[in-house]
Amino acid sequence: MFRRRVRKPEDFAEEIQAHLELEADRLRAEGLDPDDAGAAARRGFGNLASAQERHYESARWLWWDQLRRDTGYAVRVLSRRPGFTSIAVLTLALGIGANALVFSVVNALVLRPLPVAHPEQLVFLESSSGAGQSFPNYRDLCGRNQAFAGLVGYRIAPMELDSDAGAGRIWGYLATGNYFDVLGVAPLMGRFFHPSDDLRLGASPFAVLSYAAWRSRFGGDPGIVGKTIRINRLPYTVVGVAQPDFHGTELFYWPEVWVPMMMQAQIEVGNSWLEERSTSDTWIVGRLKPGVSPAQAETNLNAIAAELAREYPANNEGLQFKLAKPGLIGDFMGGPAKAFTLGVLGLAALVLLAACANLASLVTARAADRQREIAIRLSIGAGRGRVVRQVLTESLVLSLAGGAVGYALAVLLSRALTQWRAPMDFPVQFNVNPDWRVFLFAFAAAIAAGVLFGSAPAWRASRTDSNAVLKGAPTGGGRQRLATRDLLVVVQVALCFVLVSACLLSVRGLQRALNMRLGFDPRHVSVVAFDLGLAGYTEEQGRDFQRRAQERLAQLPGVASAAFANSLPLSIDQSHTTVFPGDKSGLRPSDGRWATFYQVSPGYFTTMATSLFAGRDFTWGDDRKSPRVAIVNVAFARQVLNTANPVGKYFRHGPGGGLVQVIGMAEDGKYESLTERPRAVVFLPMIQSYNTTTTLIARSARPETQTVAEMREAVGLLDPEMPLYGTGSLPQMLGFAFFPAQSAALALGAFGVLAIMLAVTGIHGIVAYAVARRVREIGIRIAVGACPSQVLRLILAKIAALVLAGSVIGLALSLAAGQLLASVVYGASPRDPLVLSGVAATMILLGVLSSWAPTWRALRIDPMAALRYE
Amino acid sequence: MPTREERIALLQGTLDLLILRTLLFGPQHGQGIARAIQQQSAEVLLVDHGSLYPALQRLEAAGWIGAKWGTSANKRKARFYALTKTGRAQLARETSQWRRLAAAIGRVLGPERAEG
Repeated sequence: MFRRRVRKPEDFAEEIQAHLELEADRLRAEGLDPDDAGAAARRGFGNLASAQERHYESARWLWWDQLRRDTGYAVRVLSRRPGFTSIAVLTLALGIGANALVFSVVNALVLRPLPVAHPEQLVFLESSSGAGQSFPNYRDLCGRNQAFAGLVGYRIAPMELDSDAGAGRIWGYLATGNYFDVLGVAPLMGRFFHPSDDLRLGASPFAVLSYAAWRSRFGGDPGIVGKTIRINRLPYTVVGVAQPDFHGTELFYWPEVWVPMMMQAQIEVGNSWLEERSTSDTWIVGRLKPGVSPAQAETNLNAIAAELAREYPANNEGLQFKLAKPGLIGDFMGGPAKAFTLGVLGLAALVLLAACANLASLVTARAADRQREIAIRLSIGAGRGRVVRQVLTESLVLSLAGGAVGYALAVLLSRALTQWRAPMDFPVQFNVNPDWRVFLFAFAAAIAAGVLFGSAPAWRASRTDSNAVLKGAPTGGGRQRLATRDLLVVVQVALCFVLVSACLLSVRGLQRALNMRLGFDPRHVSVVAFDLGLAGYTEEQGRDFQRRAQERLAQLPGVASAAFANSLPLSIDQSHTTVFPGDKSGLRPSDGRWATFYQVSPGYFTTMATSLFAGRDFTWGDDRKSPRVAIVNVAFARQVLNTANPVGKYFRHGPGGGLVQVIGMAEDGKYESLTERPRAVVFLPMIQSYNTTTTLIARSARPETQTVAEMREAVGLLDPEMPLYGTGSLPQMLGFAFFPAQSAALALGAFGVLAIMLAVTGIHGIVAYAVARRVREIGIRIAVGACPSQVLRLILAKIAALVLAGSVIGLALSLAAGQLLASVVYGASPRDPLVLSGVAATMILLGVLSSWAPTWRALRIDPMAALRYE
Repeated sequence: MPTREERIALLQGTLDLLILRTLLFGPQHGQGIARAIQQQSAEVLLVDHGSLYPALQRLEAAGWIGAKWGTSANKRKARFYALTKTGRAQLARETSQWRRLAAAIGRVLGPERAEG
């Protein structure tokens, strides 16, 4: 075979040797003296060394060799300028690190598939009515579809687990028996449960533990499989332990235990819904059959939905399915999470761009100082291409070093972020540990940054006029170079403007969110929650317990009022019901309105400081014997009852439900998120509608920590065994609602600070450089009598113009990007005058701050020294 | 045998064509190629050995010829070159180009007799 490959120089030398011998042979054959033949052959060949050099240059060896040499040289040059190098590496590390960190979050939420077999086949079933389906619907979907290899139904559920440390509330999954089989995961120990373990109601007392739960709650007991644990005071057999990286199908939720779905009534005590078509509490994830496209599956599901709507119009009217990527409850969380993280990634890219602009001006300034060196290189025969490569190599060495440091920072921070648990009762945790995608991203970002900030100086270096430079012509006089550096300042300031305005907007959004009228006043309210069902109380015992607990709380020192409810606004646990206006008969399911409901005790409105606009509060007299009553909010009155004065009006629960009379109207508030529109809400008296979930609240002027401790003690006196959860001050508990705004403010604030740092150092560098180069000129000016204000004007006029130009461009950009920001930050409007003046003030401050030191230096130039200079 | 003055140094680029043409008759080593070109041109064309190897290198990089070490007729180790399929196509292209160029120059210069 005749092959092609890169030849080594030795191989080539050998070939030439062979040629010389063959030629000598020929000459000898032609009759030449054997001694002369060798010399003649060599003469005939011409310049041996030149031929070898030409071979060498034509081969790829040269490329590699030059790269090695350039890199070595770059490292030497850079290490001789530790100041410049460390600033450049640090700048890049911050820029690339920020990008890598944000990208690792995007990677975790959007790109990385779930750790299951063939994750691309998994889909989340979202329906027109929300994320959940009723369990009977789930069964019908399983039985009738042709598109799925399997459908799993599951639900997030809190449970009470007895462990060595006593009873405590944990979060887990109720999951149908095929859950692990369909996901295609393997256990770490023991086995997972299967469909055969999940056949009859209440007869599958099996549990699978998460790795973390096994380690933390059972001390990593190697013999855990087969042991009995107690959940909600009933025995369950541990059949297996999951792999460390398996956290179920939600990216944000790390459950501790999986229990078969047939145990639903035992897990969610007092609320059995497996046979209820009206309770849509089952989330469904399906695995597509091989060869079935998501669109085909959707068609198939919607055909079944139409059948279900015909068969059960009361619950399924208008039912339609849509497939979503699993992991974020479909579009409910997936949409905002994606928009937010991608938006932040865009801002991170801006930070990197600002860092590049910064470095470009630094490198340009340095390249100008190195003109002599480059001129010498050019005059002794370096090609322009070689000079470009040399300068570019230096940039790349810098950017790769910066990238390495930045990546290391990102790894550290994302590890911390993975470990971090939001300060709430619910186990919100994300695995944002970087993987190869993040590494590739950081690498690509580093290369791109190096090329971006290195190519302009490199190109300019290659155009050095070696003659002029070596003759000692004043350097840096060219108009062109000055124009480019000025442009960089403008870019820098514009980017900084955008980032700072994003940062201020988010902070302002957060501030607004914190000061927003919530419909209640969380300050000075303390909370203790427990579940009487999990604790094994009957309804009668439970009602008695609730009332006695409230009475005890009311007697605590400093407590102004106390009450209880099933749940509080803006907590995670929200309940909904369908209501119908009461004045009509012959109602159809489509007349129903979706309303959030709370079951509250008398005194709730006083304790939460929720204003009643009309009517009266509940009393202990509104009991099971008296007519059913409710208090609604303004939105409910308007949306459901079509009136501004609902007191005395009636509504129904469900189309055939009993009539409920409205006795009061409360102010509107925020119930599920800070960004929601006014939502119809109804408050029902807990006495008329029992709920085992109990949240005790007390308003007290004394410090919350003290009140909380006294509340715990008071409940403990009634039942020392009662497991409490969600204790703390109400503002603290609202963390879940404020979480998005807080994380946005934190992320954007960090970027704003980074951008300001970059802009300050960038502008400072440019001004300092400009002053340094004009020392002579300024010296002459001072010598011939220029006063300080004239010198000042000389230096500052231009910088001011540049900052102004950058700000104008930045303003235009931020206004254009306003829509994007508004989607990320609550109540953000880029036209907010406070934000705009804030950004303008920041820019002025930034200009002054960054040109302060160099300007000062210019003013103190000693004309004598300056003129002797050079 | 022509004297040194009567020999013509090769025009830039024609060496490639001649190498490809020579290899049409089968694999050959560098010295053999140089010999063949000189002989076939009745010793008119002078192949600069110093240019020959870089040219071979270039053709090899372009994929028009392949190379492997072998043994010459007089039992010496030598690197043999052979035409590849794309090399054959390239030869055809360059040959027709050259013929057109030569014909065109011939027409411009006019009949030989009119010269001088």
